[in-house]
Amino acid sequence: MHHVLVDHWSQGRSPLHTRDPRAKILVLLVFLIVLATTTANAYVTLVIDAAVLMSGILLAGLPPIGLLVRAAGILPFSATFGAITWMAGDGWRAAALIEKSYLSTVAVLLLVGTTPLPRLLGAMEALGTPRVLVLLAQFLYRYLFVISEQAQHLRVAAACRAGSGGRRQSRFKAAAGALAVLFARSYYRAEGIHRAMLARGFGGRFSLLNPMRFGALDAVFTGAIAALLILARVQ
Amino acid sequence: MHIPDNFLATPVWGTLDAVSAGAVGVTIRRAGRDLPDTRIPLLGVMGAFVFAAQMINFPVGAGTSGHLVGGALLACTIGPAPAVLVMTTILAIQAFVFQDGGVLALGANVFNMAVAGVLAGYLPFRLLGASRRGLAIFTGGFLSVLVSGSLALCELLISGVRMPRALVFTSLGLFAMNALIEGAITISVVQALDKLNPGFVQKPAAARGRILVVLGCVALLLGAAGFLIASGSPDAIQNLGQTLGISARPAFQTPMANYAAGNFESAWLRRATAGLTGLLLICGLCAAGARMIARRRSA
Repeated sequence: MHHVLVDHWSQGRSPLHTRDPRAKILVLLVFLIVLATTTANAYVTLVIDAAVLMSGILLAGLPPIGLLVRAAGILPFSATFGAITWMAGDGWRAAALIEKSYLSTVAVLLLVGTTPLPRLLGAMEALGTPRVLVLLAQFLYRYLFVISEQAQHLRVAAACRAGSGGRRQSRFKAAAGALAVLFARSYYRAEGIHRAMLARGFGGRFSLLNPMRFGALDAVFTGAIAALLILARVQ
Repeated sequence: MHIPDNFLATPVWGTLDAVSAGAVGVTIRRAGRDLPDTRIPLLGVMGAFVFAAQMINFPVGAGTSGHLVGGALLACTIGPAPAVLVMTTILAIQAFVFQDGGVLALGANVFNMAVAGVLAGYLPFRLLGASRRGLAIFTGGFLSVLVSGSLALCELLISGVRMPRALVFTSLGLFAMNALIEGAITISVVQALDKLNPGFVQKPAAARGRILVVLGCVALLLGAAGFLIASGSPDAIQNLGQTLGISARPAFQTPMANYAAGNFESAWLRRATAGLTGLLLICGLCAAGARMIARRRSA
Protein backbone atom coordinates (compact mmCIF):
# COMPACT_ATOMS: atom_id res chain seq x y z
CA MET A 1 0.00 0.00 0.00
CA HIS A 2 2.14 2.85 -1.25
CA HIS A 3 -0.51 5.29 -2.29
CA VAL A 4 0.77 7.94 0.07
CA LEU A 5 4.36 9.11 -0.16
CA VAL A 6 4.86 9.02 3.62
CA ASP A 7 3.85 5.35 3.57
CA HIS A 8 6.76 4.73 1.23
CA TRP A 9 9.14 6.81 3.38
CA SER A 10 8.12 4.98 6.54
CA GLN A 11 9.42 1.64 5.23
CA GLY A 12 13.09 2.64 5.72
CA ARG A 13 15.65 1.03 8.04
CA SER A 14 17.44 4.06 9.52
CA PRO A 15 18.23 4.47 13.26
CA LEU A 16 15.23 6.80 13.48
CA HIS A 17 12.92 4.28 11.76
CA THR A 18 13.91 1.54 14.22
CA ARG A 19 13.29 3.62 17.37
CA ASP A 20 10.27 2.55 19.39
CA PRO A 21 7.23 4.46 18.05
CA ARG A 22 6.21 5.41 21.61
CA ALA A 23 9.56 7.18 22.08
CA LYS A 24 9.03 9.11 18.83
CA ILE A 25 5.49 10.15 19.81
CA LEU A 26 6.70 11.42 23.19
CA VAL A 27 9.53 13.39 21.58
CA LEU A 28 7.10 14.88 19.05
CA LEU A 29 4.78 16.01 21.84
CA VAL A 30 7.67 17.63 23.76
CA PHE A 31 8.79 19.33 20.54
CA LEU A 32 5.33 20.66 19.71
CA ILE A 33 4.62 21.92 23.24
CA VAL A 34 8.02 23.60 23.55
CA LEU A 35 7.50 25.22 20.16
CA ALA A 36 3.96 26.33 21.00
CA THR A 37 5.15 28.10 24.14
CA THR A 38 8.18 29.73 22.47
CA THR A 39 7.82 33.49 22.31
CA ALA A 40 8.02 35.36 19.06
CA ASN A 41 11.48 36.88 19.59
CA ALA A 42 13.27 33.76 20.87
CA TYR A 43 14.95 33.14 17.53
CA VAL A 44 17.82 31.15 19.07
CA THR A 45 15.31 28.56 20.27
CA LEU A 46 13.65 28.48 16.86
CA VAL A 47 17.02 27.94 15.14
CA ILE A 48 17.89 25.10 17.54
CA ASP A 49 14.47 23.49 16.94
CA ALA A 50 14.96 23.74 13.18
CA ALA A 51 18.45 22.21 13.51
CA VAL A 52 17.05 19.28 15.52
CA LEU A 53 14.47 18.64 12.79
CA MET A 54 17.05 18.90 9.99
CA SER A 55 19.38 16.43 11.66
CA GLY A 56 16.41 14.12 12.16
CA ILE A 57 15.58 14.24 8.45
CA LEU A 58 19.21 13.55 7.48
CA LEU A 59 19.55 10.75 10.05
CA ALA A 60 16.36 9.11 8.77
CA GLY A 61 17.61 9.31 5.17
CA LEU A 62 14.40 10.99 3.99
CA PRO A 63 14.59 13.26 0.93
CA PRO A 64 15.03 16.72 2.57
CA ILE A 65 13.69 18.73 -0.37
CA GLY A 66 10.69 16.45 -0.87
CA LEU A 67 9.79 16.61 2.82
CA LEU A 68 10.23 20.38 3.10
CA VAL A 69 8.15 20.95 -0.04
CA ARG A 70 5.42 18.67 1.26
CA ALA A 71 5.34 20.54 4.56
CA ALA A 72 4.97 23.79 2.59
CA GLY A 73 1.31 22.85 2.07
CA ILE A 74 0.65 24.70 5.31
CA LEU A 75 2.17 27.97 4.02
CA PRO A 76 -0.78 29.50 2.11
CA PHE A 77 -2.90 29.38 5.27
CA SER A 78 -0.26 30.61 7.70
CA ALA A 79 1.08 33.21 5.26
CA THR A 80 -2.40 34.74 5.01
CA PHE A 81 -2.66 35.09 8.76
CA GLY A 82 0.99 36.17 8.93
CA ALA A 83 0.27 38.96 6.44
CA ILE A 84 -2.71 40.16 8.49
CA THR A 85 -0.67 40.15 11.70
CA TRP A 86 2.15 41.98 9.93
CA MET A 87 -0.23 44.63 8.62
CA ALA A 88 -1.50 45.04 12.17
CA GLY A 89 2.07 46.15 12.98
CA ASP A 90 3.33 43.01 14.72
CA GLY A 91 6.18 41.87 12.47
CA TRP A 92 7.84 39.55 15.01
CA ARG A 93 4.65 37.76 15.72
CA ALA A 94 3.86 37.36 12.01
CA ALA A 95 7.26 35.82 11.33
CA ALA A 96 6.97 33.54 14.36
CA LEU A 97 3.49 32.38 13.32
CA ILE A 98 4.68 31.30 9.87
CA GLU A 99 7.93 29.80 11.14
CA LYS A 100 6.39 27.92 14.05
CA SER A 101 3.49 26.44 12.10
CA TYR A 102 5.93 25.30 9.38
CA LEU A 103 8.30 23.69 11.90
CA SER A 104 5.37 21.89 13.57
CA THR A 105 4.29 20.46 10.22
CA VAL A 106 7.84 19.27 9.43
CA ALA A 107 8.00 17.59 12.86
CA VAL A 108 4.74 15.69 12.29
CA LEU A 109 5.94 14.65 8.81
CA LEU A 110 9.19 13.39 10.34
CA LEU A 111 7.19 11.16 12.72
CA VAL A 112 4.86 9.68 10.09
CA GLY A 113 7.70 9.48 7.56
CA THR A 114 9.71 7.21 9.88
CA THR A 115 6.88 5.14 11.41
CA PRO A 116 4.48 2.90 9.47
CA LEU A 117 0.88 3.71 10.43
CA PRO A 118 0.06 0.31 12.03
CA ARG A 119 3.02 0.74 14.40
CA LEU A 120 2.09 4.36 15.09
CA LEU A 121 -1.46 3.33 16.00
CA GLY A 122 -0.16 0.43 18.11
CA ALA A 123 1.99 2.91 20.03
CA MET A 124 -0.95 5.26 20.49
CA GLU A 125 -2.99 2.41 21.95
CA ALA A 126 -0.10 1.57 24.27
CA LEU A 127 -0.04 5.23 25.35
CA GLY A 128 -3.71 5.16 26.32
CA THR A 129 -5.79 5.90 23.18
CA PRO A 130 -9.08 3.94 23.45
CA ARG A 131 -9.07 0.68 21.48
CA VAL A 132 -12.24 1.64 19.58
CA LEU A 133 -10.57 4.70 18.05
CA VAL A 134 -7.42 2.78 17.12
CA LEU A 135 -9.48 0.03 15.43
CA LEU A 136 -11.54 2.66 13.62
CA ALA A 137 -8.40 4.41 12.36
CA GLN A 138 -6.97 1.11 11.12
CA PHE A 139 -10.10 0.22 9.16
CA LEU A 140 -10.45 3.77 7.89
CA TYR A 141 -6.89 3.95 6.58
CA ARG A 142 -7.01 0.44 5.11
CA TYR A 143 -10.14 1.18 3.05
CA LEU A 144 -9.46 4.85 2.32
CA PHE A 145 -7.77 4.10 -1.00
CA VAL A 146 -10.24 1.38 -1.97
CA ILE A 147 -13.26 3.65 -1.50
CA SER A 148 -11.47 6.64 -3.07
CA GLU A 149 -10.80 4.56 -6.16
CA GLN A 150 -14.48 3.69 -6.30
CA ALA A 151 -15.37 7.37 -6.03
CA GLN A 152 -12.98 8.02 -8.92
CA HIS A 153 -14.72 5.34 -11.01
CA LEU A 154 -18.13 6.87 -10.26
CA ARG A 155 -16.84 10.27 -11.32
CA VAL A 156 -15.43 8.97 -14.59
CA ALA A 157 -18.64 7.04 -15.30
CA ALA A 158 -20.75 10.15 -14.69
CA ALA A 159 -18.51 12.21 -16.99
CA CYS A 160 -18.76 9.53 -19.69
CA ARG A 161 -22.53 9.51 -19.52
CA ALA A 162 -23.21 13.23 -19.39
CA GLY A 163 -19.96 15.10 -19.89
CA SER A 164 -19.99 18.45 -18.21
CA GLY A 165 -23.15 19.66 -19.91
CA GLY A 166 -26.70 19.65 -18.67
CA ARG A 167 -28.51 21.87 -16.25
CA ARG A 168 -26.87 22.58 -12.91
CA GLN A 169 -29.80 21.15 -11.01
CA SER A 170 -29.67 17.81 -12.77
CA ARG A 171 -25.88 17.59 -12.37
CA PHE A 172 -26.30 18.31 -8.65
CA LYS A 173 -28.83 15.50 -8.43
CA ALA A 174 -26.55 13.15 -10.34
CA ALA A 175 -23.71 13.87 -7.92
CA ALA A 176 -26.03 13.17 -4.97
CA GLY A 177 -27.02 9.89 -6.59
CA ALA A 178 -23.37 8.94 -7.07
CA LEU A 179 -22.66 9.66 -3.40
CA ALA A 180 -25.66 7.58 -2.32
CA VAL A 181 -24.40 4.67 -4.44
CA LEU A 182 -20.93 5.08 -2.90
CA PHE A 183 -22.52 5.07 0.55
CA ALA A 184 -24.47 1.89 -0.15
CA ARG A 185 -21.44 0.10 -1.65
CA SER A 186 -19.26 1.07 1.32
CA TYR A 187 -21.96 -0.14 3.69
CA TYR A 188 -22.33 -3.56 2.08
CA ARG A 189 -18.57 -3.88 1.59
CA ALA A 190 -18.08 -3.35 5.33
CA GLU A 191 -20.45 -6.22 6.10
CA GLY A 192 -18.53 -8.49 3.76
CA ILE A 193 -15.19 -7.41 5.21
CA HIS A 194 -16.33 -8.18 8.72
CA ARG A 195 -17.61 -11.65 7.83
CA ALA A 196 -14.36 -12.44 6.00
CA MET A 197 -12.29 -11.26 8.97
CA LEU A 198 -14.30 -13.38 11.40
CA ALA A 199 -13.83 -16.37 9.09
CA ARG A 200 -10.07 -15.85 9.29
CA GLY A 201 -10.15 -15.71 13.09
CA PHE A 202 -10.15 -11.96 13.83
CA GLY A 203 -10.47 -11.52 17.59
CA GLY A 204 -11.19 -7.82 17.85
CA ARG A 205 -7.62 -6.56 17.79
CA PHE A 206 -4.89 -6.12 15.15
CA SER A 207 -1.50 -7.43 16.25
CA LEU A 208 1.91 -6.26 15.07
CA LEU A 209 4.19 -8.81 13.39
CA ASN A 210 7.19 -7.74 15.46
CA PRO A 211 6.09 -6.42 18.86
CA MET A 212 7.27 -3.06 20.16
CA ARG A 213 10.14 -2.98 22.61
CA PHE A 214 11.08 0.16 24.51
CA GLY A 215 14.82 -0.48 24.99
CA ALA A 216 17.60 1.48 26.71
CA LEU A 217 18.47 3.18 23.42
CA ASP A 218 14.89 4.44 23.12
CA ALA A 219 15.02 5.80 26.66
CA VAL A 220 18.30 7.61 25.92
CA PHE A 221 16.88 8.96 22.65
CA THR A 222 13.73 10.29 24.32
CA GLY A 223 15.57 11.74 27.32
CA ALA A 224 18.39 13.37 25.35
CA ILE A 225 16.24 15.09 22.72
CA ALA A 226 13.58 16.16 25.20
CA ALA A 227 16.29 17.62 27.48
CA LEU A 228 17.93 19.44 24.55
CA LEU A 229 14.63 20.94 23.44
CA ILE A 230 13.62 22.04 26.94
CA LEU A 231 17.08 23.49 27.64
CA ALA A 232 16.96 25.41 24.38
CA ARG A 233 13.61 26.80 25.45
CA VAL A 234 14.53 27.79 29.00
CA GLN A 235 18.06 29.15 28.29
CA MET B 1 -11.58 24.99 8.91
CA HIS B 2 -8.77 22.75 10.17
CA ILE B 3 -6.78 24.89 12.62
CA PRO B 4 -3.01 24.23 12.35
CA ASP B 5 -0.64 24.23 15.33
CA ASN B 6 0.59 27.53 16.78
CA PHE B 7 -2.50 29.52 15.81
CA LEU B 8 -4.24 28.99 19.14
CA ALA B 9 -2.95 30.25 22.48
CA THR B 10 -1.70 27.53 24.84
CA PRO B 11 -4.63 27.83 27.31
CA VAL B 12 -7.09 27.56 24.41
CA TRP B 13 -5.72 24.40 22.81
CA GLY B 14 -4.95 22.90 26.22
CA THR B 15 -8.51 23.39 27.44
CA LEU B 16 -10.04 22.13 24.21
CA ASP B 17 -7.76 19.05 24.17
CA ALA B 18 -8.97 18.21 27.68
CA VAL B 19 -12.63 18.90 26.87
CA SER B 20 -12.51 16.86 23.64
CA ALA B 21 -10.75 13.94 25.35
CA GLY B 22 -13.52 13.92 27.96
CA ALA B 23 -16.30 14.24 25.39
CA VAL B 24 -14.90 11.47 23.18
CA GLY B 25 -14.39 9.29 26.26
CA VAL B 26 -18.02 9.74 27.28
CA THR B 27 -19.13 9.04 23.70
CA ILE B 28 -17.15 5.80 23.57
CA ARG B 29 -18.79 4.71 26.81
CA ARG B 30 -22.19 5.67 25.47
CA ALA B 31 -21.63 4.09 22.08
CA GLY B 32 -20.11 0.99 23.67
CA ARG B 33 -23.47 -0.05 25.04
CA ASP B 34 -25.22 -0.23 21.69
CA LEU B 35 -22.11 -0.63 19.54
CA PRO B 36 -20.99 -4.26 19.35
CA ASP B 37 -17.56 -5.02 17.89
CA THR B 38 -19.30 -6.11 14.70
CA ARG B 39 -20.12 -2.47 13.90
CA ILE B 40 -16.52 -1.23 14.10
CA PRO B 41 -15.51 -2.31 10.55
CA LEU B 42 -18.66 -0.57 9.30
CA LEU B 43 -17.74 2.68 11.06
CA GLY B 44 -14.17 2.53 9.72
CA VAL B 45 -15.36 2.02 6.15
CA MET B 46 -17.95 4.81 6.55
CA GLY B 47 -15.07 7.07 7.62
CA ALA B 48 -13.27 6.12 4.42
CA PHE B 49 -16.51 6.95 2.57
CA VAL B 50 -16.61 10.48 4.03
CA PHE B 51 -12.97 10.96 2.97
CA ALA B 52 -13.67 9.69 -0.55
CA ALA B 53 -16.88 11.73 -0.82
CA GLN B 54 -14.71 14.84 -1.10
CA MET B 55 -13.73 13.69 -4.58
CA ILE B 56 -17.31 14.01 -5.87
CA ASN B 57 -17.96 17.62 -6.79
CA PHE B 58 -21.33 19.28 -6.59
CA PRO B 59 -21.85 22.18 -9.01
CA VAL B 60 -23.07 25.18 -7.02
CA GLY B 61 -22.94 27.87 -9.67
CA ALA B 62 -20.53 30.59 -10.79
CA GLY B 63 -18.11 27.89 -11.93
CA THR B 64 -17.39 26.72 -8.39
CA SER B 65 -18.18 23.42 -6.74
CA GLY B 66 -18.68 22.17 -3.23
CA HIS B 67 -18.32 18.80 -1.56
CA LEU B 68 -19.82 16.91 1.35
CA VAL B 69 -18.39 17.53 4.85
CA GLY B 70 -20.47 14.72 6.26
CA GLY B 71 -21.14 15.32 9.96
CA ALA B 72 -24.91 15.63 9.62
CA LEU B 73 -25.21 12.81 7.06
CA LEU B 74 -23.30 10.42 9.33
CA ALA B 75 -25.35 11.47 12.38
CA CYS B 76 -28.68 10.61 10.76
CA THR B 77 -27.47 7.36 9.15
CA ILE B 78 -25.17 5.60 11.63
CA GLY B 79 -26.29 7.54 14.73
CA PRO B 80 -24.84 10.56 16.57
CA ALA B 81 -22.43 8.81 18.96
CA PRO B 82 -20.79 6.63 16.26
CA ALA B 83 -20.69 9.73 14.00
CA VAL B 84 -18.68 11.63 16.65
CA LEU B 85 -16.18 8.75 16.81
CA VAL B 86 -15.89 8.47 13.01
CA MET B 87 -15.36 12.23 12.60
CA THR B 88 -12.76 12.20 15.42
CA THR B 89 -10.86 9.43 13.65
CA ILE B 90 -11.02 11.26 10.33
CA LEU B 91 -9.60 14.42 11.93
CA ALA B 92 -6.81 12.44 13.61
CA ILE B 93 -5.81 10.78 10.31
CA GLN B 94 -5.94 14.15 8.55
CA ALA B 95 -3.70 15.70 11.22
CA PHE B 96 -1.06 12.93 11.19
CA VAL B 97 -1.02 11.51 7.67
CA PHE B 98 -2.12 14.51 5.60
CA GLN B 99 -0.89 17.35 7.87
CA ASP B 100 -4.33 18.92 7.62
CA GLY B 101 -4.81 20.55 11.02
CA GLY B 102 -2.35 20.54 13.92
CA VAL B 103 -1.59 17.76 16.40
CA LEU B 104 -1.86 19.98 19.49
CA ALA B 105 -4.86 21.70 17.89
CA LEU B 106 -6.49 18.29 17.29
CA GLY B 107 -8.63 18.77 20.40
CA ALA B 108 -9.89 22.09 19.09
CA ASN B 109 -10.66 20.63 15.66
CA VAL B 110 -12.36 17.60 17.22
CA PHE B 111 -14.43 19.88 19.43
CA ASN B 112 -15.49 22.12 16.51
CA MET B 113 -16.19 19.53 13.86
CA ALA B 114 -16.68 16.14 15.52
CA VAL B 115 -18.40 17.08 18.78
CA ALA B 116 -20.20 20.41 18.26
CA GLY B 117 -20.58 19.93 14.49
CA VAL B 118 -22.14 16.46 14.70
CA LEU B 119 -24.39 17.39 17.64
CA ALA B 120 -25.59 20.55 15.90
CA GLY B 121 -26.20 18.44 12.80
CA TYR B 122 -28.18 15.84 14.73
CA LEU B 123 -30.25 18.13 16.94
CA PRO B 124 -32.80 19.29 14.28
CA PHE B 125 -33.20 15.67 13.16
CA ARG B 126 -33.89 14.64 16.74
CA LEU B 127 -36.36 17.44 17.41
CA LEU B 128 -38.09 17.81 14.03
CA GLY B 129 -37.22 14.55 12.28
CA ALA B 130 -40.55 12.86 12.92
CA SER B 131 -42.74 15.65 11.56
CA ARG B 132 -40.68 17.61 9.02
CA ARG B 133 -37.86 15.30 8.03
CA GLY B 134 -36.63 17.15 4.95
CA LEU B 135 -36.38 20.48 6.73
CA ALA B 136 -34.70 18.83 9.72
CA ILE B 137 -31.98 17.22 7.59
CA PHE B 138 -31.31 20.39 5.62
CA THR B 139 -31.08 22.43 8.84
CA GLY B 140 -28.80 19.80 10.33
CA GLY B 141 -26.32 20.05 7.46
CA PHE B 142 -26.51 23.84 7.57
CA LEU B 143 -25.98 24.10 11.33
CA SER B 144 -23.15 21.55 11.50
CA VAL B 145 -20.94 23.58 9.16
CA LEU B 146 -21.97 26.97 10.54
CA VAL B 147 -21.35 25.96 14.17
CA SER B 148 -17.95 24.41 13.36
CA GLY B 149 -16.87 27.45 11.39
CA SER B 150 -17.93 30.08 13.88
CA LEU B 151 -16.39 28.13 16.78
CA ALA B 152 -13.07 27.97 14.91
CA LEU B 153 -13.26 31.70 14.23
CA CYS B 154 -14.00 32.48 17.89
CA GLU B 155 -11.10 30.32 19.05
CA LEU B 156 -8.72 32.14 16.73
CA LEU B 157 -9.98 35.53 17.90
CA ILE B 158 -9.81 34.63 21.58
CA SER B 159 -6.22 33.43 21.02
CA GLY B 160 -5.29 36.93 19.94
CA VAL B 161 -4.99 36.31 16.18
CA ARG B 162 -5.63 39.76 14.77
CA MET B 163 -8.33 39.89 12.16
CA PRO B 164 -9.79 43.09 10.76
CA ARG B 165 -13.55 43.32 10.93
CA ALA B 166 -13.91 42.97 7.16
CA LEU B 167 -12.10 39.64 7.21
CA VAL B 168 -14.29 38.32 10.04
CA PHE B 169 -17.38 39.31 8.06
CA THR B 170 -16.03 37.69 4.89
CA SER B 171 -15.22 34.44 6.66
CA LEU B 172 -18.61 34.33 8.34
CA GLY B 173 -20.27 34.93 4.97
CA LEU B 174 -18.22 32.11 3.43
CA PHE B 175 -19.11 29.78 6.29
CA ALA B 176 -22.80 30.59 5.85
CA MET B 177 -22.57 29.89 2.12
CA ASN B 178 -20.73 26.59 2.70
CA ALA B 179 -23.35 25.74 5.32
CA LEU B 180 -26.16 26.24 2.80
CA ILE B 181 -24.33 24.03 0.30
CA GLU B 182 -23.79 21.34 2.95
CA GLY B 183 -27.49 21.43 3.82
CA ALA B 184 -28.47 21.04 0.16
CA ILE B 185 -25.98 18.20 -0.42
CA THR B 186 -27.05 16.37 2.75
CA ILE B 187 -30.74 16.46 1.90
CA SER B 188 -30.26 15.38 -1.72
CA VAL B 189 -27.99 12.48 -0.71
CA VAL B 190 -30.56 11.39 1.89
CA GLN B 191 -33.31 11.52 -0.77
CA ALA B 192 -31.19 9.36 -3.07
CA LEU B 193 -30.43 6.96 -0.20
CA ASP B 194 -34.15 6.62 0.49
CA LYS B 195 -34.62 5.36 -3.06
CA LEU B 196 -31.81 2.78 -2.67
CA ASN B 197 -32.80 1.46 0.75
CA PRO B 198 -35.02 3.38 3.17
CA GLY B 199 -33.37 1.51 6.04
CA PHE B 200 -30.13 3.54 5.67
CA VAL B 201 -31.55 6.64 7.33
CA GLN B 202 -32.50 6.23 10.98
CA LYS B 203 -36.05 6.61 12.18
CA PRO B 204 -35.98 9.58 14.53
CA ALA B 205 -36.98 8.15 17.90
CA ALA B 206 -39.20 9.86 20.43
CA ALA B 207 -37.23 12.12 22.75
CA ARG B 208 -35.14 9.81 24.92
CA GLY B 209 -31.66 10.44 26.28
CA ARG B 210 -31.98 13.99 27.48
CA ILE B 211 -28.22 14.42 27.83
CA LEU B 212 -27.77 14.44 24.09
CA VAL B 213 -30.48 17.02 23.58
CA VAL B 214 -29.00 19.22 26.33
CA LEU B 215 -25.49 18.85 24.87
CA GLY B 216 -26.85 19.68 21.44
CA CYS B 217 -28.58 22.79 22.73
CA VAL B 218 -25.35 23.89 24.42
CA ALA B 219 -23.40 23.39 21.19
CA LEU B 220 -26.03 25.31 19.26
CA LEU B 221 -26.11 28.16 21.76
CA LEU B 222 -22.33 28.37 21.76
CA GLY B 223 -22.27 28.49 17.99
CA ALA B 224 -25.04 31.04 17.75
CA ALA B 225 -23.56 33.25 20.47
CA GLY B 226 -20.15 33.06 18.83
CA PHE B 227 -21.65 33.98 15.48
CA LEU B 228 -23.49 36.98 16.92
CA ILE B 229 -20.57 38.28 18.97
CA ALA B 230 -18.10 37.76 16.17
CA SER B 231 -20.24 39.48 13.59
CA GLY B 232 -21.05 42.29 16.02
CA SER B 233 -17.58 43.13 17.16
CA PRO B 234 -14.53 40.91 16.72
CA ASP B 235 -12.71 43.23 19.13
CA ALA B 236 -15.01 42.09 21.93
CA ILE B 237 -13.69 38.55 21.72
CA GLN B 238 -10.09 39.71 21.54
CA ASN B 239 -10.68 41.88 24.60
CA LEU B 240 -12.20 38.88 26.35
CA GLY B 241 -9.06 36.92 25.51
CA GLN B 242 -6.90 39.68 26.95
CA THR B 243 -9.07 40.05 30.04
CA LEU B 244 -8.76 36.35 30.75
CA GLY B 245 -5.02 36.63 30.21
CA ILE B 246 -5.10 34.19 27.31
CA SER B 247 -3.59 36.51 24.74
CA ALA B 248 -1.10 39.30 25.24
CA ARG B 249 -1.63 42.47 27.31
CA PRO B 250 -3.91 41.55 30.21
CA ALA B 251 -6.29 44.37 31.06
CA PHE B 252 -6.29 43.86 34.79
CA GLN B 253 -4.85 41.60 37.47
CA THR B 254 -6.73 38.39 38.19
CA PRO B 255 -5.63 35.78 40.75
CA MET B 256 -3.85 33.88 38.01
CA ALA B 257 -3.10 36.85 35.80
CA ASN B 258 -0.36 36.20 33.29
CA TYR B 259 -0.65 32.58 34.34
CA ALA B 260 1.71 33.31 37.20
CA ALA B 261 1.71 30.79 40.01
CA GLY B 262 4.34 30.07 42.64
CA ASN B 263 7.64 31.88 42.99
CA PHE B 264 9.60 30.53 40.09
CA GLU B 265 12.53 32.46 38.67
CA SER B 266 11.61 32.07 35.03
CA ALA B 267 8.47 33.67 33.71
CA TRP B 268 8.06 30.80 31.27
CA LEU B 269 8.09 28.20 34.05
CA ARG B 270 5.55 30.24 35.99
CA ARG B 271 3.23 30.45 33.02
CA ALA B 272 3.66 26.78 32.26
CA THR B 273 2.88 25.78 35.84
CA ALA B 274 -0.23 27.91 35.97
CA GLY B 275 -1.34 26.58 32.57
CA LEU B 276 -0.79 23.00 33.67
CA THR B 277 -2.68 23.59 36.92
CA GLY B 278 -5.63 24.93 34.94
CA LEU B 279 -5.43 21.98 32.57
CA LEU B 280 -5.40 19.45 35.42
CA LEU B 281 -8.31 21.25 37.04
CA ILE B 282 -10.39 21.04 33.87
CA CYS B 283 -9.33 17.41 33.32
CA GLY B 284 -10.45 16.57 36.85
CA LEU B 285 -13.77 18.36 36.40
CA CYS B 286 -14.44 16.55 33.12
CA ALA B 287 -13.55 13.16 34.62
CA ALA B 288 -15.76 13.81 37.65
CA GLY B 289 -18.64 14.93 35.43
CA ALA B 290 -18.28 11.90 33.17
CA ARG B 291 -18.20 9.55 36.17
CA MET B 292 -21.28 11.18 37.64
CA ILE B 293 -23.20 10.80 34.38
CA ALA B 294 -22.07 7.21 33.99
CA ARG B 295 -23.08 6.36 37.58
CA ARG B 296 -26.47 7.97 37.20
CA ARG B 297 -27.09 6.08 33.97
CA SER B 298 -26.03 2.72 35.38
CA ALA B 299 -28.12 3.23 38.53
